[in-house]
Amino acid sequence: MIRSGPGRYLFLALVALLFLFLLGPVLLVFPISFSADSFIAWPPSGWSMKWYAAMLEQPTLGVALRNSLILGSIVTVLALAIALPAAVALSRGTFPGRDAIMAGLTAPLLLPTIVLGLALLIIFVGQGLIGSWPGLILAHLLITVPYALRVLVTTLGTLPASVEEAASSLGAPALQVFFRITLPLMTPGLIAAAAIVFLVSFDEVVITLFIVGPHLTTLPVALFRYVESRTDPLVAAVSVMMVLFTLTLVVVLERAVGLRRAIGGKAG
Amino acid sequence: MAAEAAPPHLELHGLEKRFGATRAVQALSLSVGKGELIGLLGPSGCGKTTTLRMIGGLMPATDGRIIVAGRDVTALPPHRRDMGIVFQNYALFPHMDVAQNLSFGLEMRKIPADERQQRVQRALAMVRLEAFAARKPRELSGGQQQRVALARALVIEPSILLLDEPLSNLDANLREEMRNEIRDIQQRLGITAVFVTHDQAEALAICDRIAVMRAGVLEQLGTPFEIYERPANEFVAGFVGRVNRAAGHRGADGRLLLGDVVLQGTGHAGAGPVTIMIRPHRIRLTDTPPEGIGWNSATGTVTRRTFVGDLLSIEVALGPASLLVEQHTFAGAVVAGPGDAVRLAWRAEDTLVFPASPAGVFPAPPAGVFPA
Repeated sequence: MIRSGPGRYLFLALVALLFLFLLGPVLLVFPISFSADSFIAWPPSGWSMKWYAAMLEQPTLGVALRNSLILGSIVTVLALAIALPAAVALSRGTFPGRDAIMAGLTAPLLLPTIVLGLALLIIFVGQGLIGSWPGLILAHLLITVPYALRVLVTTLGTLPASVEEAASSLGAPALQVFFRITLPLMTPGLIAAAAIVFLVSFDEVVITLFIVGPHLTTLPVALFRYVESRTDPLVAAVSVMMVLFTLTLVVVLERAVGLRRAIGGKAG
Repeated sequence: MAAEAAPPHLELHGLEKRFGATRAVQALSLSVGKGELIGLLGPSGCGKTTTLRMIGGLMPATDGRIIVAGRDVTALPPHRRDMGIVFQNYALFPHMDVAQNLSFGLEMRKIPADERQQRVQRALAMVRLEAFAARKPRELSGGQQQRVALARALVIEPSILLLDEPLSNLDANLREEMRNEIRDIQQRLGITAVFVTHDQAEALAICDRIAVMRAGVLEQLGTPFEIYERPANEFVAGFVGRVNRAAGHRGADGRLLLGDVVLQGTGHAGAGPVTIMIRPHRIRLTDTPPEGIGWNSATGTVTRRTFVGDLLSIEVALGPASLLVEQHTFAGAVVAGPGDAVRLAWRAEDTLVFPASPAGVFPAPPAGVFPA
């Protein structure tokens, strides 16, 4: 670490530059969302709240938002229901092929999403799953379960096995050990996993694009479609709302359970 | 401490644990009397913790049987073995307060709430933590956590108490205090206990009997006195207490030689090369060595003298060997320094003689003295 002298200022400038590079585009949508123009331009010729007002009068986006929230909630519950037993089995059990199963369950993270999307399209078309809730839920589970599994396996890995052994030596059968000891101690990890799954689902565009239908779409896809046909600052206003929603969720969780620690990083 | 006379409460018959080709515990048989505190002592990797985990049911035995009060528990899961375990890292439930930690085992046993509360109170009083019932484990010091772990294991009134290196995470002062506390409570309750440790002083201090293990094999089982004074082999003599080691020879006529000094010793080594072991504090520096049967004496040259307050260590070259002599110090003592010739004397029964170990199996440390 550079602690003093001109090097320190250079270092700080570099960090600031990196942050600007990463966050600049996101920050730019904030002023643009208050533009009075009818198209996205920089700098705006005037300021107004009219795109926020327009947003509320957009039925398509409203429905898409509702769909995204419902989808995210269902996917969160199901992803945890799948990942929790899998994580317990993978981190507490010893059986042949354990590493292979772990690799298989996290593999979807490594595939290009466009490939996954195409593959799902091909499979789903034959099953009548395109543009349907089950189709969307299945697709989102495919990409969110690996995240949930990773977080939960990490959480279980940091729980000392001796705590569970102590409970069992005190007379608790396996199920009691799980519900009285393991599960309560996993709470921060469960909340973190739920948050990540929800955000990934809420944010997902590429795969969802292949699967949505004319009557069922999600907010990111609806926004994408909107931008394709029009270029007014309405999308900026929606983006601001999405950024604020995500940020709020992350900050609240960080305060409540220490998100970074639950994900597996060092406590800050 | 006539615990051996008590009927066996815990019996191990040919207990064995294999990991692939490795035999972590080999055909271990031993019997623990009711109310006895038995120590499993050995260096890390000797199989002592593996043995404890098999007794507690935390690890399945590959072979052999575990009998508690006449009942075969080998196949029982831990929650049906009725054993209290104190773990090295205490393993307290971090999301429960102290009282809830203690109450957990009683709840599992379906003890009614009011009785539960009484027993938790009694257990807390036993470890002098009444005032800490509402604290979370992370709000306690190491010694307090240790006492909670002990109380939690005992409040269920288990048939056997298992302690896995319970003192190794405490600092030195506290360790001695806690070991005496564990011993007191164990004796007051008359509970059968198995105590795993790598610290020979700890084992000697509180155990009724000690099982010394090495590489999965039981090397010796005996009282602390027997283990210390009559070690069964070179390993036990070296692991328990400090000891000088010197290469000697026993002739076909039975004469024991250290260099060219003829010694009397104890042990059953036959003719050929032998290892002679003498504890440093059993050797005296004296101008008038006791003569006759029962005593050895020899003349050597002081090579080093180290003053450590209560003890004075003097290294004496004696022919090919180098012996460490430890003397308690007292004011006005006149002691030889480097280069001086000194006469040493020690008892024949303090001269432990073992067949020389094959080279490489048990290499001698360079100083000729084992660390304590």
